[in-house]
Amino acid sequence: MVLGLGAGIFFCHLPFFKVSGYAMTSFRYISGRIFSDVTKTLGIEYRKHSFKDPDDAMAKLDEVLLGGTPVGLRVGMYNLTYFPKEYRVHFNGHNLCVIGKDGDDYIISDPIGQNKNKLSAADLKKVRYAQGALPPNGSMYYITSTKNCKPLNAGMIEKSIIKTCYNMTHIPLPMFGAKGIAYLARRMRKWEKLFGKRGAALNLAQVIRMLEEIGTGGAGFRFMYAAFLQEASELLSRPGLNQFSMELTAVGDLWRDFSYNAARFFKQRDPEGLTYEDLAVKLEVISARELDIFKRLENSIKHG
Amino acid sequence: MKVKDVPQDDSFVQPDRDVNLCGRLFALDDDGKYQEVPSAGWSPRNEAVRFAWNSRKEEAGQVREKVLSGKYSPLAFHMARAMMTSGMMAGYTGFSRRNINKFCKPKHFASLDSEALSKLAGALNMSVEELISID
Repeated sequence: MVLGLGAGIFFCHLPFFKVSGYAMTSFRYISGRIFSDVTKTLGIEYRKHSFKDPDDAMAKLDEVLLGGTPVGLRVGMYNLTYFPKEYRVHFNGHNLCVIGKDGDDYIISDPIGQNKNKLSAADLKKVRYAQGALPPNGSMYYITSTKNCKPLNAGMIEKSIIKTCYNMTHIPLPMFGAKGIAYLARRMRKWEKLFGKRGAALNLAQVIRMLEEIGTGGAGFRFMYAAFLQEASELLSRPGLNQFSMELTAVGDLWRDFSYNAARFFKQRDPEGLTYEDLAVKLEVISARELDIFKRLENSIKHG
Repeated sequence: MKVKDVPQDDSFVQPDRDVNLCGRLFALDDDGKYQEVPSAGWSPRNEAVRFAWNSRKEEAGQVREKVLSGKYSPLAFHMARAMMTSGMMAGYTGFSRRNINKFCKPKHFASLDSEALSKLAGALNMSVEELISID
């Protein structure tokens, strides 16, 4: 629900903006935007800080925690000690929630952890001041007041769906929205020429990681957004939205088929009968279908 | 995707078993309703992670050869192993990027004092002894 209200689903592929050496591919809107949009829509007040000095950042965190408010932090993944070694890359878009302090350790609730865990103050300071692309600079956010909170209504959901459709279909640049997927397909055809065999496979690995690892819920948020559409169809009693949900699920399955085939490039250097051309064609099919779905979705909300 | 198709291919060792890191997938149950299902991992994703990890090791191995032949300093090897760029290293240590690139050459690396070495080692999460060796 929150992903849908924050108009979170998106696609962009930016070959000129590098994250740890590879072109950035993103399946959601910039981090923090979903949170700020949802709180604004629902009338929840929150504060957001970032600090130049790490000690100030930790002092402020302690102060807010003492007041009994859980705090969200954006951190780098590289020094998170409780992650498997293989997952620890220089990626600064991981969000976690600190819910308390126990002596010198902080109690953390990680979005992908099933249980709570502890992290020492020194480690937390390090991940809050991770370097690299988009450094978090100790950024933190917390809810200050919910007294003006408005109940969820049909208008909010419709508005957010229209916003999502705008992002997916109307941005007049080739890298953004559903047509960005076709742009990625065009780039993919050139990869072998540009980066060589191994470089091309590494670029593909990066796309798959963004799709499955960062894209929570599977297939780069597509299943999650489909779940939102289903929930919305019940709330607004519009059976048409459930139809869109099922169509988006089918697209999600196509994404997973794409990842499944792409993985053959990592198992063996020369997968027989599979080329980047084949993968690019798969992406073009996905692009056309997503464009079609979001255009019809926009029409159905706007005109009946 | 159906609930029964949610993959459970766990293949990485988790340092802290109690946390039980586990992604969540949204999948359809038999009535066509969405549900949140925990998923331990999926083999194509694991392959992608493993492939990236192995090629990083290979790259570090190539840099190691160059360190042995006297072209680079051990710092270059440790940076390649940690996937650090000189920009990131500069951010962590406070040296300029130009200086970090300079320290990647054996001549300049040898002239560093202990304070500078400990700064570099701290950014790479290792001791000074580890920083000057290449094991």
